Amino acid sequence: MKVRAIQFSPALGNIEKNLEFHVAKIAQAIRDGRELIVFPELSLSGYQLKDIACDIALKKDGPEWQEIENLSKKIDIIVGAPLEEEPGIIYNTALYFSKGKWRHTHRKVQLPNYGMFEERMIFKQGDEFRTFKIGSLTAGILICREILFPMLAYLYFIQKTDLLIGISNSPQRGIGKDGISSFQLWETMGYVISQFYHQNYLFVNRVGFEDGIGFGGGSFFARAGQGICQKAKYIDEDMFDADVQPADVRRARLSSNYLRDEQPELVLREMRRILHA
Amino acid sequence: MLKIRCDLVEKILVSAIRDSIHKNNFKNAIVGVSGGLDSAVVLALCRKALGAGHTHALLLPYRVSAPESLEHGKMVCAQFKVPFEVIDISPSVDAFFDRFPAENRLQIGNKCARERMSVLYDFSVRKKALVAGTSNKSELLVGYSTQFGDSAAAFLPIGDLYKTQVFELARHLGIPDAIVSKKPSADLWPGQTDEGEIGITYQDLDIILHLMIDRRWDEGEIIEHGYPLLVIRHIKKMIVASQFKRTMPPVIKLHPRTVGIDFRYLRDWNK
Repeated sequence: MKVRAIQFSPALGNIEKNLEFHVAKIAQAIRDGRELIVFPELSLSGYQLKDIACDIALKKDGPEWQEIENLSKKIDIIVGAPLEEEPGIIYNTALYFSKGKWRHTHRKVQLPNYGMFEERMIFKQGDEFRTFKIGSLTAGILICREILFPMLAYLYFIQKTDLLIGISNSPQRGIGKDGISSFQLWETMGYVISQFYHQNYLFVNRVGFEDGIGFGGGSFFARAGQGICQKAKYIDEDMFDADVQPADVRRARLSSNYLRDEQPELVLREMRRILHA
Repeated sequence: MLKIRCDLVEKILVSAIRDSIHKNNFKNAIVGVSGGLDSAVVLALCRKALGAGHTHALLLPYRVSAPESLEHGKMVCAQFKVPFEVIDISPSVDAFFDRFPAENRLQIGNKCARERMSVLYDFSVRKKALVAGTSNKSELLVGYSTQFGDSAAAFLPIGDLYKTQVFELARHLGIPDAIVSKKPSADLWPGQTDEGEIGITYQDLDIILHLMIDRRWDEGEIIEHGYPLLVIRHIKKMIVASQFKRTMPPVIKLHPRTVGIDFRYLRDWNK
């Protein structure tokens, strides 16, 4: 599967401008023969929405989707958006479009609400981690902070996911002599997902600034069992193409058999014992 | 402990300055250059972000300012090839105090800081520029600034860097040694130094602030690290006492949605 990752800076609260950018990048990806294009978390709206969310949250039957659905006849598309699924109930979502239809919605479960983050002031939490098909691949989506909970990637691991897609709006923070500590978080998890959960893993982060908070970029593709093999720039807008091979998942599984030896029933039993003790 | 990767900090700050200026449909920044370290660093960053043609410097001496401050201001403008203007604020400041004599020198210092702000904002219109502020994290936290004076700006590029980190960045950016090596001073009256006023060296202040603010260490942990309780308490007191300088004035809430309380929008709204 020929994948393209778009690392860009959405305009805060300006759906029209962001949609225009998406359409241009999707059209370009179609011309370039790509099969899947992935945008960052909240790519249609920007991140620090605060009260803007109530003003601009997208509706399920909104006019915006028609254009993306039409484009998805020629390429599969993943975008991020604040979605008002019921009046007054907004989710932070990742949406998958394919063959002219909106086919999958992932609602962010882990909404950060500490320090500079206040997502629970805006969004309702999702409550599931379901896989879906992208062509012949079994795929799953994690949104930003969900990536930092290894147990959530595990849920996709035991659903035999070939391609895990992590979309993010990660503010860069923690400057020191070795650089920015938040950059290392995502790469560490990329290594874990690739090496121990044997999934191809595409991480797409945004860049740009919102009132002084900068988003670090550094999107990457980690091949199953091999770690990070392609990486976008930090801080600047960028994009890259990756070729996702299901054969890499098979090779990784054969090399160390984590999936074969995994015992989810035991994990479930032990979880019940621990939780109900 | 406070070492930074200067190349990365430079890249982030240059990108952020460019973003702040362009997102607001400006092309230019204007910086009040005092001859000290902070404004030299901000000037250098703006120059890198926007180019010499889009960076303007104002040198705003008062009659008791140290002569070397003006010389150092000119030196840094020359080094980064930034056009500058010198505007002596003495006539306007003195005209006021001739009518209403000052009761203490701090009053004069604050008036000078606000006069400089007033001139910078006037010139920001003339130059079609946004005012780049020069406050650093150390002074923001202990409140070592004049409210609506030197703390007033469209954005604060080095506001999350401690003073000792500004020194490190200054060396990386090639700020002239005469500026980097002199004692930091607000230059509000002859012989004034920041460390004399604050009562502690920046080296110690910054480490304590970093442990207290960024790492959330408690008093006991900071004492174990080698700092006396009295110094820690002094710093904490300064932080608490100056909180009003770091927030917008409170609005008295009457309606369901109130500016500054629950009318919650970023500056970058729709940009």
